[in-house]
Amino acid sequence: MAGSGKAHMRPDGDRILVVDDLTVEFNLGRGKVVKAVSGISLDLIRGETLAIVGESGCGKSTLGKAILQLPKPTSGSVNFLSKELTSMNKHDLREMRPAMQMIFQDPISSLDPRLPVSEVLAEPLRVWNRGNEVEINEKIDELLRAANLDPAVVRDRRSYEFSGGQCQRISIARALALDPTMIICDEPVSALDVSVQAQILNLLQDMKDRYGLTLIFISHDLAVVKAVSTRVMVMYLGKVCEVAPPDDVYLRTRHHYTKALVGSVPIPDPDRKISAGLMQGEPPSTIDPPSGCRFRTRCPAATEQCVNEEPQLREVAVGHFVACHHPLED
Amino acid sequence: MFKKFMKKPIGFKLASLWLFAVVFVSVTYDLFPYVQWDAISDFSQGDGPFKVPGHILGTSYDGMDMFTATMHGARMSTFVAVTSVFIGGGIGSLLGISAAYYRGTYDKVMSSIFNMILAIPNLVMSLALISVLANGNSNQPASDFRRVLVLTISLTIVIIPILGRIARASTLQWSSREFVLASKSIGTKNFEIIKRHIVPNVAPAILAIGFFAIGVVMIAEGSLSILGIGIPGGASWGSLLAIGRANLEYSPHEVYIPVACIGLTVISTNYFGDYIRANLDKRESKI
Repeated sequence: MAGSGKAHMRPDGDRILVVDDLTVEFNLGRGKVVKAVSGISLDLIRGETLAIVGESGCGKSTLGKAILQLPKPTSGSVNFLSKELTSMNKHDLREMRPAMQMIFQDPISSLDPRLPVSEVLAEPLRVWNRGNEVEINEKIDELLRAANLDPAVVRDRRSYEFSGGQCQRISIARALALDPTMIICDEPVSALDVSVQAQILNLLQDMKDRYGLTLIFISHDLAVVKAVSTRVMVMYLGKVCEVAPPDDVYLRTRHHYTKALVGSVPIPDPDRKISAGLMQGEPPSTIDPPSGCRFRTRCPAATEQCVNEEPQLREVAVGHFVACHHPLED
Repeated sequence: MFKKFMKKPIGFKLASLWLFAVVFVSVTYDLFPYVQWDAISDFSQGDGPFKVPGHILGTSYDGMDMFTATMHGARMSTFVAVTSVFIGGGIGSLLGISAAYYRGTYDKVMSSIFNMILAIPNLVMSLALISVLANGNSNQPASDFRRVLVLTISLTIVIIPILGRIARASTLQWSSREFVLASKSIGTKNFEIIKRHIVPNVAPAILAIGFFAIGVVMIAEGSLSILGIGIPGGASWGSLLAIGRANLEYSPHEVYIPVACIGLTVISTNYFGDYIRANLDKRESKI
């Protein structure tokens, strides 16, 4: 199932980002190579929210960072606003940075503990010479208010004086400081309480509408993804399993891995029986991934074909793509 | 500020008073209306402390006043220790921070160099450096200035890998935090990131170990003096100790006064190092 392919690309759309056959490998020495991301292709149409989901270690965060060239991917191309990032020199790449920002998973680690909030938010504005000190100060207040924080209260505090949710608001304000086109949100709510998660998700949604942002939303939490995304990409061990609108992923699941993921979303009902057929075991090592379909070792429907042949993404319904030799019936 | 100081633990008060006294005397020694520290007294030789009027800490076997000699010794000991830790710490931090931030081959080379220097016992290395770079012959010994210079340089070389490794380890820890990645994604230049985010966070750890290092250097300076290749002529505590060693049976206070001074200073700097680190931990646990 977990395979490659480009059937899901949309060359006719107003694409701001085209990622083609992206591979990220980490050399561990002694001939060991971690294949964190293997031949992923995706595209992003202006104004949409693409969610990338998968369990821990499937390469989704690595994919997000590789799109921003932090660090540069091993091979493949990343085309952002019609400019190729992978072949750019340091100087040109730096010029592109304001348009693409990132929000990180650990809200507290995202802020320098030695700097007050006003300094944290002033950094991007100063680095890019966005106005004099007075204008920068006004912009900081505006950003804090946009993130539902009271500038008078928070300006001079440092990160350890805030809760995780407040830190994440400040991170969002910082990401917005340079009026970006695209923001990559790397599990922005997974470290937060459920009640705070909703606030942050609403804030992101507001910001998206207000500033016309395009988001890539990386998460392992399908419930969160369903609330925010317009398109979902399911990843397993550095490969794509399924690409579809969120409703199709939940209600018309075609991939065995996605089914297991959807089945693992906890439902707050004590009387509910734990459904059978949940996935067994651990994901295989990314140093030596299985041949053919990478999910075959844990897949209930695996056959000889899955061992020998890597499945390619194909369209099984309108806008619904699956990389599986034996997809589930609708 | 005084009120704040009075609230500190007793160890902090004693340590800071002693260090303040040492630094104060080192700086202002020339202003005191005492006799020359190495002037020879002809009526008191080898008397213990509080025995002869006018010589509070007694006199040496050669008739030199121990109080002025000790005060004068503070200057050279402090100078050598502070200078080598300051310069060595500066170079070490620079190398350690840049190695940990940029990683790669540069880091590997730097770490190997640090490990190589650390593998050589520091007394042996100082001894080798001094005997090569500040050698004289029996007719014309190397000048005092040159010996002090080479001694300071050799102790600086000892300090570089010690603080360099601390800076490297601390930078590795901080540069993996997400705010550094966030700065990179903003487009902040590497040098700015190091200046704004890495150095302020790494500084407390380096400062704490830097205080320990002052103690290490003082002891090393004393040991080299005993070996006969330290600062010549009783100009530092270690040197006084080396001279007094010869007269141990007649005037033991010649040994234990400089030893007490070195000991108190080392304990005080160690206490300060611990104090800074403890407060640093308190701050860290809040994060």
